[in-house]
Amino acid sequence: MARSRLEKIGTIYSRTKGLLQSGALQWEDRPIWYDLYEAFPPIEEPRYDRPAPNIPIRKIFYEEDKVRALFHNRNKHIGTINMFNNTSTTLTKKFIQAYTTLDEKYKGEVSQEQLYEEAIELVQREKQKFSKAEDEISLVSSFKQAQAKQDSGNIPIKVSDLFKD
Amino acid sequence: MYVFKPVNQLLTTALKRYSTSVIPKTITNNDTVPTQPDFNPETVLNSPDYFNVHNLFTVKDLFDARVHYGHKEGSIDERMLPYIYGSRLGHIIFDLNKTADYLRNALNIAAHVAYRDGIILFFLRGAQNAHIVEKTALECGEFAHTRFWRGGIFTNAEKQFGAVTRLPDLCIFFNTLNNVLIQHTAVRDSAKMGIATIGIVDSNCNPNLITYPVPGNDDSPISIQLYCKLFKAAILRGKEKRKEHFV
Repeated sequence: MARSRLEKIGTIYSRTKGLLQSGALQWEDRPIWYDLYEAFPPIEEPRYDRPAPNIPIRKIFYEEDKVRALFHNRNKHIGTINMFNNTSTTLTKKFIQAYTTLDEKYKGEVSQEQLYEEAIELVQREKQKFSKAEDEISLVSSFKQAQAKQDSGNIPIKVSDLFKD
Repeated sequence: MYVFKPVNQLLTTALKRYSTSVIPKTITNNDTVPTQPDFNPETVLNSPDYFNVHNLFTVKDLFDARVHYGHKEGSIDERMLPYIYGSRLGHIIFDLNKTADYLRNALNIAAHVAYRDGIILFFLRGAQNAHIVEKTALECGEFAHTRFWRGGIFTNAEKQFGAVTRLPDLCIFFNTLNNVLIQHTAVRDSAKMGIATIGIVDSNCNPNLITYPVPGNDDSPISIQLYCKLFKAAILRGKEKRKEHFV
């Protein structure tokens, strides 16, 4: 069958259309995608020589990044965090929450230094409050969590199924 | 032997060369084959989303599957710039609203090609995710090629397979790079042979030759799993409708 192999010229559609118009390709022999391309054309033409647009990449920053930077600058060793854990909030997030609530309370009249000190104190006090209770809870709760996970069948694989075929 | 299961099928079923299996005649002149009495083939093409692929996923699903993560800023291909939301501390983040648009278009095309009894071929290089892609292909009755691409499988098919060969009608690339980070040769070869392509393009890929590109993360297993699930569902919907309409 007739076919133009020059992939750098035009698009697959324009090349096939040319073949159809010139009669090199019969209408009945058109590819399956031809009607689909006409009905649902791609958002951009798939041309090899489509130029790259000149768009600057914007930097993504949030309001609380300043607080986060402050916290991490002064506390280099805050341990590892498990990013798959959605049940508990991280230390950084707790600090940011404490900092912003304090900031709102003082309405911006207090220096950053004082806010930082107070927020750290708040986080530490909270940590101490829960540290005793946590020891008892964590064992029970983690056991319960594991059991719930097993019961709900979240794990899609069963070991017995692995060796079936 | 490189095309996944069905070399025999590829070789024997088709009398046509290259990708262009003829559209089943039933679609153009609908008096030849028994179809459902109240079924009009025009409506399939004219409705914007006949197979309802838009409800297969939400933007939240994409986010949970980490589709928005690109590579580092230094490795960006500038042709990917329109699909990018920004850079978070040096890492490219995709605009998932755009990704959802492109992905819905791609799923629609996949469903339509399956509906018209086209052959669909999945591609993915990289051992980590290869098995799930091959399994997906098996499950939806299509084909996969996740191994080394011997040049000329499309362009010199007749010599390589020793017979007239029907090429696929749609190639779906789950990543468009090969394992040395240059573009997969099959992308170029599909364009040469006039085969429509769908491709997941990461921030370091070139989307130009892909007919229906989908910007998104092509490295995480969870993202590949999502793409596999979505394309499988779309293809199965197309096939189901085909069964209903052409008995």
